[in-house]
Amino acid sequence: MDKAPTQANLSRRDFLKSAGAAVAFLTTLEANPAAALTGAPARVSLAPLSFEVGPGDDVILRMQAELQRALAKPVDQRRWVMVIDLRKCVACHACTIACIAENKLPPGVVYRPVLDEEIGAYPNVTRKFLPKPCMQCENPPCVPVCPVSATYKDENGVVVIDYDQCIGCRYCITACPYASRTFDFGSTYTEGTPIAEGLVVGQTTADDYERAANFEYQEATARTGKDESPIGNVRKCHFCLHRLAEGMLPACTTTCIGRATFFGDANDPDSVVADLIASPNVMRLKEELGTEPRVYYLV
Amino acid sequence: MTKKVLYALGGLALLVGLWGFYDRFVNGHQNMAYGSYVVWGLWVAMYLFFVGISAGAFMLATLDYLFEIPLFKGTGKAALWGALVTLPAGLVSIGLDLGHLERIWKVYLQPNPLSVMAQMVWGYTIFGLIALVALVLAIRQPKHAAMKILMIVGLFLAVFLSGGVGALLGVNAGRTYWHVGLLPAQFPVFSLASGAALMLVIIGLFGPAPAGDPSALPVVAGQAERRSQQLWVLGLLTVVLGLVKVYFLWADFSQSLYGGIPQNVQAVNEVMFGRYWWAFWILQIGLGTIIPVIVLVQPKLAKHNGWAGWMGVLVLTGFAVARANIVFPALTVPELEALRTAFTGPHLSYDYFPSLVEWAVTLGIIGGATLVFLLGTDRLPIFTAKTEVTK
Repeated sequence: MDKAPTQANLSRRDFLKSAGAAVAFLTTLEANPAAALTGAPARVSLAPLSFEVGPGDDVILRMQAELQRALAKPVDQRRWVMVIDLRKCVACHACTIACIAENKLPPGVVYRPVLDEEIGAYPNVTRKFLPKPCMQCENPPCVPVCPVSATYKDENGVVVIDYDQCIGCRYCITACPYASRTFDFGSTYTEGTPIAEGLVVGQTTADDYERAANFEYQEATARTGKDESPIGNVRKCHFCLHRLAEGMLPACTTTCIGRATFFGDANDPDSVVADLIASPNVMRLKEELGTEPRVYYLV
Repeated sequence: MTKKVLYALGGLALLVGLWGFYDRFVNGHQNMAYGSYVVWGLWVAMYLFFVGISAGAFMLATLDYLFEIPLFKGTGKAALWGALVTLPAGLVSIGLDLGHLERIWKVYLQPNPLSVMAQMVWGYTIFGLIALVALVLAIRQPKHAAMKILMIVGLFLAVFLSGGVGALLGVNAGRTYWHVGLLPAQFPVFSLASGAALMLVIIGLFGPAPAGDPSALPVVAGQAERRSQQLWVLGLLTVVLGLVKVYFLWADFSQSLYGGIPQNVQAVNEVMFGRYWWAFWILQIGLGTIIPVIVLVQPKLAKHNGWAGWMGVLVLTGFAVARANIVFPALTVPELEALRTAFTGPHLSYDYFPSLVEWAVTLGIIGGATLVFLLGTDRLPIFTAKTEVTK
């Protein structure tokens, strides 16, 4: 097997090339920050990531290698699932934050909240944490209700939203039994904040960043206007399809400090997730509804 | 006098509404109280309310033009006009609720035919066109052969679209408060009841003046004389349907509380004993049901134009609250209890009370609809026969 280049064995020439590109980007940023951030190409492609994994390596590395294996298969032979080990979750909310950063989510839009429940009465009290992404149901109730087929299961089996098709009726939100969808009302973090001169501070600069493209669904979707998509659209977790396409795990998975979130192809019998969902202590939310979620919990 | 006051009130309401429309179009949905949890608010409730009245009014127009019941001769145009005014009011209400109103054409050209919402959009468009053509024919050629066909198709649509609105909510299996088989069956009854209430208002407050009144227009022969009898029958219909509505409520709520499914119990408790208990007990049950029933079972009061008309207003008010009590409570119950505090931000709350902009827009729509309706009664031969007017 050929050894693929990794971050660990970058040559000096590669490093200098990357540094040069970074300097060029910053120069553009200084001249026109908005253009540098929003004028990104519609599609970007990164060099494929690959890792050699051995016993004792971090599970993230193992899942990364499995991801490469899955991506080499025809798309209809993969079955992406997420497994969340509730015994390991410490409710640090790193996944929530990573998701917000990755997808540049505005205030009021959340793809992966962590539910925090207190159980029992003092002194016999305990807490239960439940990270809750979209369940990516096999039988998603949100799909058939959409009047314009703007939300559908894509070839990966992931429920997606076509922002240019969505009319913003929010019927899908009412249909989702897991509250996994939120509506983009057009709020920004910088609204009402002080205006200051400079490159990295002040409302204008921060607002440029907020409105920069987020690359969801592998499209550069900038929040440029007041009422242009994705503002006025329903939004949801999509298992970071844009990252998967580039061979990267979802942002919530890589940032989980307790390694409580697992992701992979359940059709690969040697994958971590295939092992985990075969455990006797696995459950899914609201199974009685017949939605067949692709998010499993270990309890 | 009543008309002048209503013109003034309608104009005032529309003025307030203009500010709401301005805010909606400039700031989008930012100033609305509904959010990602209570995802449908006042405007959706008003949509259900207005389209229900529209369908009900059309059902009652068939008494004149399809079933040709002598007592209701001459009331068909008023009913059709009522249906035509309330339908756009409902559609404006729901249209403003959309995140991308400019894409509404997609529902016509790129629809998902399996979506109940798409079916409703198509159905109400056809229904509106039928009501419009029927009114034009009723004014110009009431004996036209197409009239009966329009009435049959329109009646069929009025019943099924009303049921469809119930299904729009009922198909959400995750919302136990909505997901009851009875919901699509209840809505046509609600529609007919609100149509009857609208006709009480129209005939009671704006109906043809009796012969001898100097302001009286020449009307369909004998119509003014039949007015009190029409009010009596419509009043009784309102009473019966009001009692059926109460029975539905009883069946729904008692079964929910007895069954004990937490989400359902929470929603029912929210309606009856929650923050807005007064809306249910005082407006919906007290003013909207009990008082009209007491008044309308008394022949003397029920035949009185003013009493009957204002009872119609009360019943409609009760229906508006009832629609809200169907939409909001199901959404104020979290899908998972801990969601209440899991993540905070604008529009992420399970408490809902309409914002000023929502009220203003609703007021504007009601005001606009009132003005258009009044103008119609003044400019169109709603209670008169065309041939008699032209004499």
